[in-house]
Amino acid sequence: MTNLDTKEALDIRAIFPLVWRCWPYYRPQLKHILTYIGCTILIGALFFSFWFVADDLIQNKIGVGEPLQPLQAQLLMLDKSYLTGDDESKRLSDSQRKQVRAKVVILTLTFVFVVFIGSSPLNYYQVWIFQRVNQKLRVEMLSKAEHLSLKHHSFSRTGDAMYRIYQDSATITNVLQWLVTMPLRVMGVIIIGCITLIFFSAWFALPIFFSIILSGYVMRKLLPVIRQKSRQSREYNSDLTSRIQENLAAVRVIKASGAEDIMISRFKKESQNALDAAFEMRFYNSVLLLLSILIGMGSFIIAEYFMATWAITEKATSLGGIVALVGYATWNIGAYQTASRQGEQTCLQAWELSHIFSVAQDLTVGLKRAFHLLDLEPEVTEPSQPKIFPVSIQSIQFESVYFNYQKDNPVLAGIDLSATVGSVTAIVGGTGSGKSTLMSLLLRLYDPDHGNILVNGINLKEMSRETIKSNVAIALQQNVLFALSISDNIRYGRDDLSEKDVHNAAKIACADGFIADMPEGFSTELGERGGKLSTGQRQRLSIARAVLRDTPILILDEPTASLDAETEQRVMKNLAIWGRDRIVFIITHRLSTIRSADQIAFLDKGKIVEAGTHNQLMAQLGPYSDFVTAEVGNTPTETNYE
Amino acid sequence: MNNSKVYDDRVDTDSEIDLRQVLTLISRSFGFVKGVKGLFICKLLMALVSILPALAVPWILKIIVDQVIMQQPFNTAEVPFPPFMMPFINMIHDLSPPEIMFSVTALFLIALILFGLRAPAAEQAQEIAQAKGFDAATQSEQALSSGGSNTSGLWGLLELSLSIRMTQRLGNALRARLMGRLTHLEMTTLDEQRIGDSIYRVMYDAPLMPEIIYRIAINPLLLIITAALSIYLLQFSYGEVTPELVWLAASLIPLTLLVTAPFSALARRIHQKNRASGATTTNRMEESLDNIAAVQALGGLDKESVRFEKSSEESFWRHRLTVALDLILIVIRTCATWIVMAIGFILITDDVIDGTLSLGDYAVLSGMMFMLSENAAAIGLYWIELQKNVAAVRRVFFFIDYTTETDGEYRSIKPIKKRIHLKDVSYSYPDGRVALKQVNLELTLDNLVAVVGPTGAGKTTLAYLLPGFIRPSEGEIFFDDQKFSQLNTKDIRQQVTYVFQEHMLLSSSIRENLLLSNPDATVNEMIEACRISGAMEFIDLLPDGIDTPVGKGGDTLSVGQKQRLSIARGLLRGTPVVVLDEPTAALDPKTERKMMAALKESSKSRLMVIIAHRLSTIREADQIVFLEEGRIVEVGEHDALMAKPNGRYRRFVELQAVQ
Ligand SMILES: Nc1ncnc2c1ncn2[C@@H]1O[C@H](COP(=O)(O)OP(=O)(O)OP(=O)(O)O)[C@@H](O)[C@H]1O
Ligand SMILES: Nc1ncnc2c1ncn2[C@@H]1O[C@H](COP(=O)(O)OP(=O)(O)OP(=O)(O)O)[C@@H](O)[C@H]1O
Ligand SMILES: [Mg+2]
Ligand SMILES: [Mg+2]
Repeated sequence: MTNLDTKEALDIRAIFPLVWRCWPYYRPQLKHILTYIGCTILIGALFFSFWFVADDLIQNKIGVGEPLQPLQAQLLMLDKSYLTGDDESKRLSDSQRKQVRAKVVILTLTFVFVVFIGSSPLNYYQVWIFQRVNQKLRVEMLSKAEHLSLKHHSFSRTGDAMYRIYQDSATITNVLQWLVTMPLRVMGVIIIGCITLIFFSAWFALPIFFSIILSGYVMRKLLPVIRQKSRQSREYNSDLTSRIQENLAAVRVIKASGAEDIMISRFKKESQNALDAAFEMRFYNSVLLLLSILIGMGSFIIAEYFMATWAITEKATSLGGIVALVGYATWNIGAYQTASRQGEQTCLQAWELSHIFSVAQDLTVGLKRAFHLLDLEPEVTEPSQPKIFPVSIQSIQFESVYFNYQKDNPVLAGIDLSATVGSVTAIVGGTGSGKSTLMSLLLRLYDPDHGNILVNGINLKEMSRETIKSNVAIALQQNVLFALSISDNIRYGRDDLSEKDVHNAAKIACADGFIADMPEGFSTELGERGGKLSTGQRQRLSIARAVLRDTPILILDEPTASLDAETEQRVMKNLAIWGRDRIVFIITHRLSTIRSADQIAFLDKGKIVEAGTHNQLMAQLGPYSDFVTAEVGNTPTETNYE
Repeated sequence: MNNSKVYDDRVDTDSEIDLRQVLTLISRSFGFVKGVKGLFICKLLMALVSILPALAVPWILKIIVDQVIMQQPFNTAEVPFPPFMMPFINMIHDLSPPEIMFSVTALFLIALILFGLRAPAAEQAQEIAQAKGFDAATQSEQALSSGGSNTSGLWGLLELSLSIRMTQRLGNALRARLMGRLTHLEMTTLDEQRIGDSIYRVMYDAPLMPEIIYRIAINPLLLIITAALSIYLLQFSYGEVTPELVWLAASLIPLTLLVTAPFSALARRIHQKNRASGATTTNRMEESLDNIAAVQALGGLDKESVRFEKSSEESFWRHRLTVALDLILIVIRTCATWIVMAIGFILITDDVIDGTLSLGDYAVLSGMMFMLSENAAAIGLYWIELQKNVAAVRRVFFFIDYTTETDGEYRSIKPIKKRIHLKDVSYSYPDGRVALKQVNLELTLDNLVAVVGPTGAGKTTLAYLLPGFIRPSEGEIFFDDQKFSQLNTKDIRQQVTYVFQEHMLLSSSIRENLLLSNPDATVNEMIEACRISGAMEFIDLLPDGIDTPVGKGGDTLSVGQKQRLSIARGLLRGTPVVVLDEPTAALDPKTERKMMAALKESSKSRLMVIIAHRLSTIREADQIVFLEEGRIVEVGEHDALMAKPNGRYRRFVELQAVQ
């Protein structure tokens, strides 16, 4: 399922809007992020300046025996005899060098312990911050996905949404690091490196710029490939997730069809696709990194040649001015060490840059997939100023309601129907005639294309979905149970209701009998998708669930299809009593249920072709009476056996 | 709330993994190496070579410092260069310092291209995974395609590619195996098993297996060889001058192992729980997304969001625990190594001050010490890290070991010709509920048999026996004269088709749904099956006919349409026995009548067992079996049963009769 085109041009500008979109997720953590960044910079600076000084001390002072700079002596708490004084060629004595060394060791260890241990909780802190960011996005995505209309859901795969919520959303945690802080840091390192190196010799600007320009060229060539592979990899992986999810959800059918082997071979193929894409992405990534490292390190190694030869001739550095702290006025061993480390660092940034860019490809692809889900608009929109649901319900009217799922294929084509409080309306019709669809409009799972549905004269569209759902209960045609306990299943979505309500509802649905036989009664845990129950038992739990809601409007979609006649009649009798001051809709094929309805609406070809009581309709000799004859033709009448 | 409720996971959080189990899991993981023998050996050899270039770097740097910058002559007597450096040393022995520098630069450039000398290792695949703010699932996805090399350059690229391929093959072999086992689980096990949990095991647990092989076979070997080589080099060049230093370097590895080992049991436990909580999050997401229609219709949206939020929070928290553990270990380990390094520093500088060692030697030695300490750090952590993989892999092997229908020795089947006989069959579900009691029944081919009874009577259970979804707890079933208990489940299913009461379609086209049950079916056969089930009626109206996609789980069809399509799929298999569980429940009387007539017609050549409540469906049957509370109460033809004055069946019929 490809929602994104694969050929869009590489455009760094495209990254900015994406980063901007991530802002609301980072925003709540801003305080933490700033604290974190502040601490890291502080620690980084500490380490940097520490090594700058320590290098000189170790190489030049301890190693060669040169005297200390005044500042160094102060830092190490050593007296004047360690300073240069007047004698330029003065050297430290062996014992003095050991003294300096002892101080350096103690200083270093204290520094490392304090700073390192002190800073390690920072790592945990960082994980915590980014998890917050991810959590916010994840939760928002799931709830967005759940709120999307069923039209969307019936055409998209569960695994795809899962992959987006789980894997694609996680890329957001990398945005700050890879798209903001790392590029900044690289820039910082390059600038500091350039400045230091240029202090040593202006010539060094050359290899740096050379390597950056060349690797820029390589990136232009390779990045689009990487992005395409990354997208492929994500798409294949999400297909694979869907495949696994669907196979497992339909595993019984696969078993019954003996199709295990086919499924496994399909799984293997898709899995291989996913792996190949992942491999190719990594391969091109590595090629990019390899090329940029060859460019970066190559130019550094050549620069190093010059550094070393200059050190031989003790050529003057352009540093001059800041000798107060360190002794690099001319090229010497310490200067060589420092310049070479700086140079290596700076040239390595070519590698860092291409690394960042290649990761950024994957990030943007992932983020786009995540935001794609957030960008989908639910077709059923909430009114800006929702009206409240009428407290005492009088009537429901369908006024020439039209609806289709796909264009040119009308399911409902002008439904007119009204029901008043205290009545039971039976909706009858052939299979696929749109009965369930009609009822889902009443729940505002979809909105009609034309026409209105009115409750006490108020349009359903003017009420929020939430209030509608708390006033309309439905027992679905396909019983959906969750892997929860029986009472949690009945209570589903209404945690405020007490156990006693649950028991009452179960009694009305005639479910109390079998629940009592379960090992742990109402608290028995059901299996996946409500396994461990017979279908008729599941159906009665669905009915109980609808009854428990105690709403003024009740919809029962084939509530008794899987019940035997005896249970059916008991359930229907209870419901008749219970539904006295409500509006009840029943979709059913069973004549016994239909007959007791106050009103029968016969649905055919998207229209209500007949409506009235059983006797009225039988007298009309229309489609309904045909329907009854068909059923009675199948069923023995009393005359046969009595 | 007990544990199982928190994690939806039956095994993995309660029981500890003990050391023996760890070892078994490791050795089982190794069993999979057989499948990638070639790659494994190549990778190992390449990795061994990869160690070497890095070892030369300190020596070359020493030449730059001593011979180039400090302009000293080569002094191989006191501090000898290691043997592998000698050819190069001999080459540049008599050159002037700038010339030496030139040769060194050339060497560096060649080594850079070949081995990426002095460049970051090609291990980048790991890097993204280390990003922060992930949880275990997100990380595992990366783990499946991880690989690495100690070198970069052309060699590193090749080695990286090889090792990614190896990791992928290993992970894939394991997850395909797991997937296979999961689909073969017994029906009653499947009732218990959460789909989200299975997804987690396949997608996120299995990928951690290849790392076990890296962690146990490849990495330690490389680390130890590297360490041994560096210590040998130290000994070779500096053994005379500073023997203490060599000892000190050698002690680094055992020391870090010693300080981190006590944490391994804790690590295991933390990782176990981390994965279990990840599985729960997956469950929540899967369940609510897959049943979205119900969630929306029942107003469960907020509840689902809160549930997901909680479990996602929990899995993040569990993951953070693993981060905290890692941090503690790093701190302890670093402190230990730094102390050793400080002692080393004192020893080295003593000799530098005495003049026995040059500044270049200092560079070599501190470089070596640093390398060793990194090495030691990695070794010290590897046992701990291994616990993470073990925790994941146990979740995988758990289901690979779980009994499935295909386990055991069976005979092959002879096609059913005449009859199926159930003799004293009883069945009770794993939770102890008895669903069938002492059932005796004889079913003959060429018959339409209806199974009737109140809900919960055990009709579905009885029917489940025929395709071997469940096997009798007591008693025996005979296919002609073959004992059911000796037959292979797969073979039984070749003879018996089952169509479920709750229809399940795959999210693909109608054609693919049909082909699932019989991949070789021709279009005509498909159309014939659809005609019998009455599905053709609506397929004809669809824009793309048989190639129309049916949406997620068949959601774009009405329930009655799904049902007919499921039946067509079942009939397409053309087996001698077909069981239909309430095939007409969702149909209107007209459609029902047509379907029953067609089914009756096609039952002439096979045994058709139909479970039904509606009289209109049952009447046509050649034999009616009335079931109540797990027992067969009456068997016979409609008219015969109706003739019994107080018969259960008769009462059942009368209740449905139009009053
Ligand atoms: N999500 C959907 N997308 C596209 N078409 C759909 C969708 N749901 C249902 N349909 C189509 O709309 C028509 C009416 O479906 P509906 O489920 O309302 O029928 P029904 O009267 O309830 O039938 P049944 O008695 O079989 O349950 C059918 O032709 C069906 O294929
Ligand atoms: N997996 C299971 N674990 C435990 N008990 C089960 C399981 N499946 C079914 N049962 C129980 O076994 C009994 C018989 O169930 P079965 O599904 O065979 O009934 P049925 O006759 O098909 O009913 P229906 O007409 O409602 O489909 C029921 O009480 C049910 O609760
Ligand atoms: Mg319907
Ligand atoms: Mg059943």
